[in-house]
Amino acid sequence: MNALPWDDEYEYEDGDDGADSMVRPYTITRGRTAPERDDLTLITLLTTVPGPVDAYGAPVRPARLQPEHRMIIDRCRTPAAVAEVAADLDLPVSVTKILLGDLVAQGLLSARAPISVARAAGGADRGLLAAVREGLRRL
Amino acid sequence: MTTTPVGAAAVKILIAGGFGVGKTTLVGSVSEVAPLRTEEYLTTASVGVDDLSGVDQKTTTTVALDFGRITVSPELVVYLFGTPGQERFWFMWNDLVNGALGGVVIADTRRLETSFASIDFFESRGIPFVVAINCFHGVNTRSDAEIRAALDLDPHVPMLVGDVRERSFGRDALLALVDHLMAMPVG
Repeated sequence: MNALPWDDEYEYEDGDDGADSMVRPYTITRGRTAPERDDLTLITLLTTVPGPVDAYGAPVRPARLQPEHRMIIDRCRTPAAVAEVAADLDLPVSVTKILLGDLVAQGLLSARAPISVARAAGGADRGLLAAVREGLRRL
Repeated sequence: MTTTPVGAAAVKILIAGGFGVGKTTLVGSVSEVAPLRTEEYLTTASVGVDDLSGVDQKTTTTVALDFGRITVSPELVVYLFGTPGQERFWFMWNDLVNGALGGVVIADTRRLETSFASIDFFESRGIPFVVAINCFHGVNTRSDAEIRAALDLDPHVPMLVGDVRERSFGRDALLALVDHLMAMPVG
């Protein structure tokens, strides 16, 4: 099994020099350029899990989190799409997905896949379209 | 839907069209938040003209994207993504395009040709779309038939004319798209 990215072997400097914006984006991900999960899309909705517990019911003690991870946890107390989190953090979508994947893997964040629009099966769900229509009419 | 509702789920609609036709303006006119901006890195294979070896070179490009949101209900959020102005970028961005409900192509009567690529793209991918003609101050000197002919638009594709700065026009364009989707044959 591979070492988890937040294990101690991935030691990092807890920099406090206010130079975050100067950090090259993939430094934040400790060199990872691809997310471990490929199911996060631009509109996957993320919600911070309140009082997260592990598979045995024990409270999750978050492993080494970077400042960006903590910002995400704060941001997603109100559900937000991947694109919104990326915009708020001012990080590219691909970098944001890697950080989000870390938190989902630790059980700190839950991810809700977008509603699938199965066009091959004859177009989008009628109920869904009716709901969208109703919402738009109120604009 | 058989999934257990845990908070909201999302759908997306793409707002496309040539550079500077008013995509972000339309997104902003209907979005409940000021349009947000994010970036993505796209890796493109490019062949340099002076590259005699013929070997593809990978180039990484940063592409910006503006988007907005409309909360339809506690269970449903619609995201509107203004596609990057240069089509050659969003053509490669599968996550942007995959699973979209459909698209609104904005075209400017003074330079319709800048929106050809967007129309081609939706047609080739089989993504339903409507065309919103943006007229500055709502002044349109060309007939609908003229514009349709210039855009080589299929007769079944809905087309609206208006000013993208007006919320009612953005709303009507989105409603036209949903109606278009609902009118499509089932099965």
